[in-house]
Amino acid sequence: MATEQVKPPTEEAKIDLFEDDDEFEEFEIDQEWEAKDEGKEVTQQWEDDWDDDDVNDDFSLQLRRELESNTEKK
Amino acid sequence: MAAYVSMGEAHRRITEYLTRFSDAVSYQDGQSLSRLLSVSSNSPALLSLADALNTYQDANRIIRQSEKYSQYTDILVPIFRALQSYRLRNLVEAYVAFEKVSNAFIQEFRNWESAWALEALYVIAYEVRILAERADIELASIGKTPEKLKGAGSFLMKVFGVLAGKGAKRVGALYVTCQLFKIYFKLGTVHLCRSVIRSIETAKFFDFEEFPDRDKVTYMYYTGRLEVYNENFPAADHKLSYALAHCNASKEANIRMILKYLIPVKLSIGILPRTTLLEKFNLTEYSDVVLALRRGDLRLLRHALQEHEDRFLRSGVYLVLEKLELQVYQRLVKKIYIIQKQKDPNKAHQIKLDVIVKALKWLEMDMDVDEVECIMAILIYKNLVKGYFAHKSKVAVLSKQDPFPKLNGKPVNS
Repeated sequence: MATEQVKPPTEEAKIDLFEDDDEFEEFEIDQEWEAKDEGKEVTQQWEDDWDDDDVNDDFSLQLRRELESNTEKK
Repeated sequence: MAAYVSMGEAHRRITEYLTRFSDAVSYQDGQSLSRLLSVSSNSPALLSLADALNTYQDANRIIRQSEKYSQYTDILVPIFRALQSYRLRNLVEAYVAFEKVSNAFIQEFRNWESAWALEALYVIAYEVRILAERADIELASIGKTPEKLKGAGSFLMKVFGVLAGKGAKRVGALYVTCQLFKIYFKLGTVHLCRSVIRSIETAKFFDFEEFPDRDKVTYMYYTGRLEVYNENFPAADHKLSYALAHCNASKEANIRMILKYLIPVKLSIGILPRTTLLEKFNLTEYSDVVLALRRGDLRLLRHALQEHEDRFLRSGVYLVLEKLELQVYQRLVKKIYIIQKQKDPNKAHQIKLDVIVKALKWLEMDMDVDEVECIMAILIYKNLVKGYFAHKSKVAVLSKQDPFPKLNGKPVNS
């Protein structure tokens, strides 16, 4: 096996042995489950209508103050 | 380590194992057979057998004494060696012996017409991978090249070939595929996944849905991760969402791993996870990224990326998150627009670039009017803002209709 001896430094820092931090855990061989109900809770945890017109949060209020104070300076 | 065993007792245990093995094969009892092959399971039965083997040095003679056993010599001799070596923590030897077991087993499996032994085959595929990983750790610790896992990959490709044809054995192909994925992701050779994926996805005579759930979920998790690396976000969304919806709810660690990749994908198509989700699965490294999107807070996005840089780089989602910047710009400009609109509805759709410069300065981003113009041009080009420039007066004129189009589950135009 001809492995390159010279490796970029990032690769070297990475590991002495191979690793995948996110290796999926094994399911038991005979594990079966009802997919329909379970997992549902987790699949409903998303928002796609978050991009509202509300500008009363702290960040927006500060932004407004910033924009107004600056315009006054001019 | 090994408990004292008398010769008579050792002989009894060895014979018992051989009887069980030959019974499992003759009665086509895949489950019993699989237990006899689980070298790394440390089951009491196998541990006490290993102790017996280490006492009774000539077990091979017992195998040869009876035709019942000797027809499986190629499996039984090396499995004894594998069990013995594993018990003595000689992991390289254990792997080498188990590879012989596996090759001999595949020979037999090929000849068995029905798929009764699939469960045992799964154990073989799993054990080959696990024993190879452990052998590699041993090799690395004595300064040798860890190469067994790579070898296990080649072996499993062969197993895949045995299963991938037509017939009842086909249902086992996805399990082996998932073991291969685990190996390739660990070795960093994910390009090798491609040929297996093609074979799974182009199969005309086998419906994907017929595979067992556990394998479908694992398969979708890994192929979803691959789509993230390829920046194919709609496909990544589809696969990871499938894995999420079908994953056994009690396997929280797996759900967390799916979400770790699905969240950046969802963010990139304009969909946010609820805070409760991030908290429940301890994925709070995404909290500030989400908040930055909600606010239009470029400073917070930058800080969140810096703070968790290592983690995001390791999992390979850093670039995905970095690209959220354009959406955060869009949100900021939208906030400026709404604030202006509340003051003077008639002039709201004209945004002076100066104003954006000021907002950015507040967020500790030093940009001049030309740079801001460039950013606005990108936003317009990517259809995140609808409008045009009055170049001379340094004003962006926004469309009166839908000036900030939503992504609606589609990625930003590239």
